[in-house]
Amino acid sequence: MALRTAVLRHVRIPVQTLTLNGSKQQLWSLRFMSSHDDHITKAEVIERVLSVVKSFPKVDPAEVTPEVHFQKDLGLDSLDNVEIVMALEEEFKLEIPDKEADKIDSCNLAIEYISNHPMAS
Amino acid sequence: MVSSGVAAPTRTEILGLYRSLLRVARDFCDYNIREYTKRRTIDGFRENQNLTDANSISSAYLEGKSQLAVAKRQSVVYSLYAPKVKSVMELNTPTI
Repeated sequence: MALRTAVLRHVRIPVQTLTLNGSKQQLWSLRFMSSHDDHITKAEVIERVLSVVKSFPKVDPAEVTPEVHFQKDLGLDSLDNVEIVMALEEEFKLEIPDKEADKIDSCNLAIEYISNHPMAS
Repeated sequence: MVSSGVAAPTRTEILGLYRSLLRVARDFCDYNIREYTKRRTIDGFRENQNLTDANSISSAYLEGKSQLAVAKRQSVVYSLYAPKVKSVMELNTPTI
């Protein structure tokens, strides 16, 4: 027992507070685990949505504008519509629920939905 | 519209199945299986898009449903035996 305390006294590490004077400010401004800081701007959303739609095989890139309707203006059908929404999900790392995904049938609605989505990146 | 006791699936249900199949296709860890499942889904729906007979529509829908179950199960099984290296098709290196 006496030996144990002697050893413990010997190996004890002195307690001291960590000094974060310089780095504290930076630590908080980074906001760890936050996905909201790097939110994308609407202009970027528009540009990326258009590039996804333009790269769809059946679409003529010249016809694509932010106002374009997938089925009425681009001559696509409902299956193509689903594929485009899936491609947008992949581009923006989103999971759009079926109910919402069914409603997205034009560039305008896609841009609107994605720019209002907090997790879009 | 109802024949042989099976109601014909609605448009929303069919598009929902299409979306679920494309979703499960993305989950496969192997590039080849991922691409195959996606291609097979798209081709299968294209092949049957002009069906008008309620009977054949519901049988195609049921087949799709069972294939979805297979794909879900297999994506779990294959995830246990994931390839150790990526396919060369997935590498983003510039072509020389």
